[in-house]
Amino acid sequence: MGLEEDNKKIEESMRETARKLLEDKEVDAVIGYTEGTLPMSSMAMVITRAEDVDKLIWNNYCYINLATYLVPRIAQLVDPEKGDLKVGVISKGCVGRAIIHLKVEGQLNLDNVKIIGIPCNGIIDRKRIEKEIGQKEILEVSTSGNEIIVKGRDFEEKFAFDEYILNVCKQCKVKSPPNVDDACVGECQEIESVSDDYSDLAEFEALSAEEKWNHITELLEQCTKCHACREACPMCYCNLCFVDQNKPIWFGKTTDLSDIIVFHLIRSIHLVGRCVACGACTSVCPMGIDLNLLIRKVERIAKDRFDFTSGLSSKVMPPMMDFSMNDSQEFMLEED
Amino acid sequence: MSEKILNKDQIGKFYNEFSDYNFYAPVNEKGNILFKKISNPDEIVLDFLNSKIPPKSVLFPNKEILFEYEYEGKDVIIKERDDLDEKYVLFGVRPCDAYSFQLMANFFSFHGNCEDEIYLKKKENTLIIGMGCNTPKQTCFCTSVGGNPFKKEDSDIFLVDLGEKYLVEAISDKGKELIQKMSWLADATNADKQKAKELAKKAEEMITTQIDAEKINNILDENFKHPIWKEVAESCVGCGTCAFLCPTCTCFDVIEEHDHYTNKGKRIRIWDTCQAPLYSMETSGHNPRPTKIERCRNRIMHKFSYYPKNYDLTGCVGCGRCVSYCPANNDLRSILKEIEQIES
Amino acid sequence: MTQTETKTESEEWTPKIIAFLCNWCSYAGADLAGVSRIQYPPNIRIVRVPCSGRVSPFFIIKSLMDGWDGVVISGCHPGDCHYISGNLVARRRFGIIRDVLEFFGIEPGRVNFMWASAAEGERFAVLIRKATKIIKELGPIKKF
Ligand code: SF4
Ligand code: SF4
Ligand code: FES
Repeated sequence: MGLEEDNKKIEESMRETARKLLEDKEVDAVIGYTEGTLPMSSMAMVITRAEDVDKLIWNNYCYINLATYLVPRIAQLVDPEKGDLKVGVISKGCVGRAIIHLKVEGQLNLDNVKIIGIPCNGIIDRKRIEKEIGQKEILEVSTSGNEIIVKGRDFEEKFAFDEYILNVCKQCKVKSPPNVDDACVGECQEIESVSDDYSDLAEFEALSAEEKWNHITELLEQCTKCHACREACPMCYCNLCFVDQNKPIWFGKTTDLSDIIVFHLIRSIHLVGRCVACGACTSVCPMGIDLNLLIRKVERIAKDRFDFTSGLSSKVMPPMMDFSMNDSQEFMLEED
Repeated sequence: MSEKILNKDQIGKFYNEFSDYNFYAPVNEKGNILFKKISNPDEIVLDFLNSKIPPKSVLFPNKEILFEYEYEGKDVIIKERDDLDEKYVLFGVRPCDAYSFQLMANFFSFHGNCEDEIYLKKKENTLIIGMGCNTPKQTCFCTSVGGNPFKKEDSDIFLVDLGEKYLVEAISDKGKELIQKMSWLADATNADKQKAKELAKKAEEMITTQIDAEKINNILDENFKHPIWKEVAESCVGCGTCAFLCPTCTCFDVIEEHDHYTNKGKRIRIWDTCQAPLYSMETSGHNPRPTKIERCRNRIMHKFSYYPKNYDLTGCVGCGRCVSYCPANNDLRSILKEIEQIES
Repeated sequence: MTQTETKTESEEWTPKIIAFLCNWCSYAGADLAGVSRIQYPPNIRIVRVPCSGRVSPFFIIKSLMDGWDGVVISGCHPGDCHYISGNLVARRRFGIIRDVLEFFGIEPGRVNFMWASAAEGERFAVLIRKATKIIKELGPIKKF
């Protein structure tokens, strides 16, 4: 079966669930995706009336992680007066994971959130397609079978879907949200742990320190420090990010290479055991920087060191909120 | 003065005429078109829609050192910028971006009441070589905000792509003088001029988005508290990409980088954006624009209401960058359309 | 820089190392080493912190940015922390800092973590010697 049929089916059942939740007053609002204004785009949308559910859509361009809109500072948007609103969130696997992890970190109350689960088959890497097309304008994109067809004024190109989804999606093991504390309706799964082989990292990890540095600096050098990656990330919810701190100023705010590197370095450290590998950061970067390498490493550190995958359970403490006498300490300096 | 013809294979020769300038031109870096200083004419990308980061980054870079200082005992020795007399040429600037320099200069001089020496000096020493847009993007709406895809008035020299060659027209006195010196340029034939005219007409027809900036200006006056702002803010992620990529956004932050080991320092200006919560945060901790609702509103208000009041022009040039690159697809065109619908 | 230049330079060059020492153990351990006249390289500059749990990634990265060739962080042995679990929390943090730094191509040897109690003047000196050797072999820091 082709992609469109799959998506249409998902879309229909998702609308049904949303309609039911709204009609039964189980939720006050549903956050979902709606049609974007440009090819390969989509937009987040909050609906509060059951009539509006048909505005919700699902396709492979729904790249924003909707959990971003739930974090305290943004939740006020929905209704500043009423406070504790009940919200349903259209959730692909990583959105569900983000919500669960936010609950674990005490950022939201799962009683107020309904995870409307949908199975995701991967988000199309629009930045990569744009790069391949180059300096021509994309006017229309459609999918047929397993192909993405991109059309412009005087060209038409085809891309294999499996190849042109986000790199994180290729590695994704949690396509639909885990069912935690019965917060999930729709398509959900019971999942305790995932195994991952990180073979995609092997090549990079085998490089020498010098080569790694060169690779990373080359990857990040165009960063404009706009912080779109941070804003779109559901896990970057701090009210005062280290970037904005000025008492003391830990590193420069400029676009000097060292400042760029430190930003991404510290951000990576902060995301260990938290990143849910949604790829939103990569999808939104205006400069088309692919942060996949960092995402995967951050995941790997949490898995290797603490056997932890974020957003799968509401009971397991995330590694950075926990400690144990028996943690590994192979890196400590010891007498010979 | 009559128009000239520059063959595309003569770009190198053309480039050499500007040996005493810093030559900035669009280059392709990892798939992004950016204005960079070039040292080899082969780097220039001639076939592009528009640059990702606007050429404002040349005169108003993301990071700019305002001055440097050094402590000597108790005295502070200030080292002012000594490179302000350098000359720049910006090659291949789209008409919207060429126009944006005028809007930015307005901001940096505020009717002559508050002049930013660094920007204005640089601007004065800059020669803009504009280039018509044969194929505007679907996100472009320059025709609604005082421009059009072949508007040449804001350039010193204006080029029209005729396929194998450019039609060259000198606009300003500075431009005329330079073109006069390039005696090797062939004269344009009537057919060439005719073709340029046709291209201009075709390009203008390709722009489908029309907004009524004046009407919007009037509506905004009355609707500071309209519920539409909440709607606009709903899907915004608050990143500020729109401002960073906007050719008319001028906001900056001034920071100090002081090295305690050597007792030297720099005062630096970096891009900032009204979309960042910290931008409007006051020392007391009070923030007059506490949520995205106020911040999104400010962006629209500034361009379509405050700027017109201060300078009699719309503060947007319609390049469509924020439309194309907004991570949340919060489309400025749709927002403006919705504002137009507000009943006054 | 040409090869020969590097050579001559590194012959005279000794690293500058910043050490964050826990007030309750390693700082006293360093003191003990001094009082007992146990030799250790003079390359370290000590910053006293209340607990190894106080050491944030910023301390480490800022030090490297500012041109310190290496960093040493030393706290009480697991189980002995004055604040009971400060060093256990820190240990988790250190593990990931190290992994991420390595991933970014900053040699792991630049940042060294160790435990040394107030009574272990000898151990402190031995470990500092070892850390200095590692950092010296890596050469001056250039990257930031
Ligand atoms: S979104 Fe991209 S350009 Fe912006 S800060 Fe993140 S990596 Fe840098
Ligand atoms: S770092 Fe990127 S992939 Fe990880 S949770 Fe944040 S946005 Fe998603
Ligand atoms: S008191 Fe020494 S490590 Fe906590």
